[in-house]
Amino acid sequence: MSDSSALTDLSISEAAASLRCGETTSVALTQATLARIKETEPTVQAYATVTEELALESAERADRELADGHDRGLLQGIPIGVKDNCNTKGILTEVGSKAMEGFVPDYDSTVVAKLYAAGAVLIGKTRCHEWSCGGSEPPTRSAWDRDRFPGGSSIGSGVALSARSAFGTIGTDTGGSIRIPATLNNLVGMKATYGRVSAYGVLPLAWSLDHVGPLTRTARDNAIMLGAIAGHDPNDANSARVDVPDFLTDIDGGVQGIRIGIDRDYFLYPGVVDSVRVVTEAVIDELAALGAKIIEVKLPELESTRETQMTIRMVESASYHRHRIREKGHLYSPGTRATLQMGEVILATQYVAALRARERFRSAMKDLFRREYLHALISSTIPVSAPLLEDVWRPRDDMENGETPTDGFVHHVYPANLSGQPAISAPGGFTPEGLPIGYQLMGRPFDEATLYRIAYAYERTQNWHKRQPPQV
Amino acid sequence: MTKIDQPADPATSADQLVRLAEMLRLDFAEENLAALAEQLRLIDALEHAELEDFPPILRMDADWHE
Repeated sequence: MSDSSALTDLSISEAAASLRCGETTSVALTQATLARIKETEPTVQAYATVTEELALESAERADRELADGHDRGLLQGIPIGVKDNCNTKGILTEVGSKAMEGFVPDYDSTVVAKLYAAGAVLIGKTRCHEWSCGGSEPPTRSAWDRDRFPGGSSIGSGVALSARSAFGTIGTDTGGSIRIPATLNNLVGMKATYGRVSAYGVLPLAWSLDHVGPLTRTARDNAIMLGAIAGHDPNDANSARVDVPDFLTDIDGGVQGIRIGIDRDYFLYPGVVDSVRVVTEAVIDELAALGAKIIEVKLPELESTRETQMTIRMVESASYHRHRIREKGHLYSPGTRATLQMGEVILATQYVAALRARERFRSAMKDLFRREYLHALISSTIPVSAPLLEDVWRPRDDMENGETPTDGFVHHVYPANLSGQPAISAPGGFTPEGLPIGYQLMGRPFDEATLYRIAYAYERTQNWHKRQPPQV
Repeated sequence: MTKIDQPADPATSADQLVRLAEMLRLDFAEENLAALAEQLRLIDALEHAELEDFPPILRMDADWHE
């Protein structure tokens, strides 16, 4: 293979196979990715920093090791982008903030250390919203339609993948920031169980809601990445002491006998637009046709997840930023500063009430999964397709209650941050205008494997994940 | 001043938040504080009605089907 676009179109699985049968090299993959970055960055601006020299050195090492029979696994030699809130030793880490301009960490976050240990090639740091809270806009543009919102806060992680300027990326998700860019860029994004992936060395938004996870173009690729970055980390007090399975072992096991719940009152509420509703119902029908049992459920506790999540997020963010804002507040954009500071006026008793409300919600979710013997809950990832950039924060014309597209995002994605359950977004279809629509599966804690199995079963019946964006 | 045997209404009002923000020398838009007050009013109501049996912990147990 010599054509660089043919290389960058490969999935991680395909690239790994090509490396092992001698059809390509890590250096070739990396050079092709760097060429793709040069080609696409003027249009999409997905990267904050490109680590060309380091990437080529890592690629040469990967090729040497593979030639010597030192196989570190399927990520070895694969170019990966990492969100710019993950500390990278010796490499700029600015989390989209002027207050962090020029910051070069002296250690690697655990997720980056694990990627290095797996032999992955760090191709660059992907742009993110300021302090991962979406308070201001980086210049990153969607490869699907540059006038439309490409998601956030892991905005560069989503766009780089859809632009084929990375084979996989790392994002973080406090309130949907892996799953929202996944759905808006036709990708697979996994917010694994809370504690499954170490958050050590990742600049926090809210400690008890933050999750680190992979974005990829296929379910199998995502399983490969999660396998490489998951596991207990003594440096992270919230890291779970739970064994990490091989997520590929049963990925092709099909969905016969898998029980999937749908709460139509909540997840198909009137804010879900027709195109998203049609795709969601089609995914449900297809999974039923493949042998899954679809079960209608009702979970009233979902209704208070927004207020609960917001209260916890605001207080924890305010705590983390309190001193920095007093020293460097002028280096925060005003909207971001207010978002991060507002938790200072919430009482301690109200924060504790929100924590108790979270436990009530998690307990109710657990009861539901036990009662119905569910393996997953299904929904669209968000209620709308990509809104125009100027409409993201505006009340929707079709909603009388003043709901904005962002309100709809949080309606669907917050529950999994709150309960800590794993949740995956995967390509489900397209609008008539050609914009991607994803579906979401929420699973049992530490059972990401079943979510991959469902997503892979659906992916094999469709070719949505192979569609490429028109604008790069 | 509120007497000790007449506890204040626990529900947070936007006015309370405005005063608290002023005391802390924080500058927030009034509409944002109004939205926050509504958010906290719902949390207060939830606590009053439905949280008696739930402690403030996060349990990630893996036994949901046992």
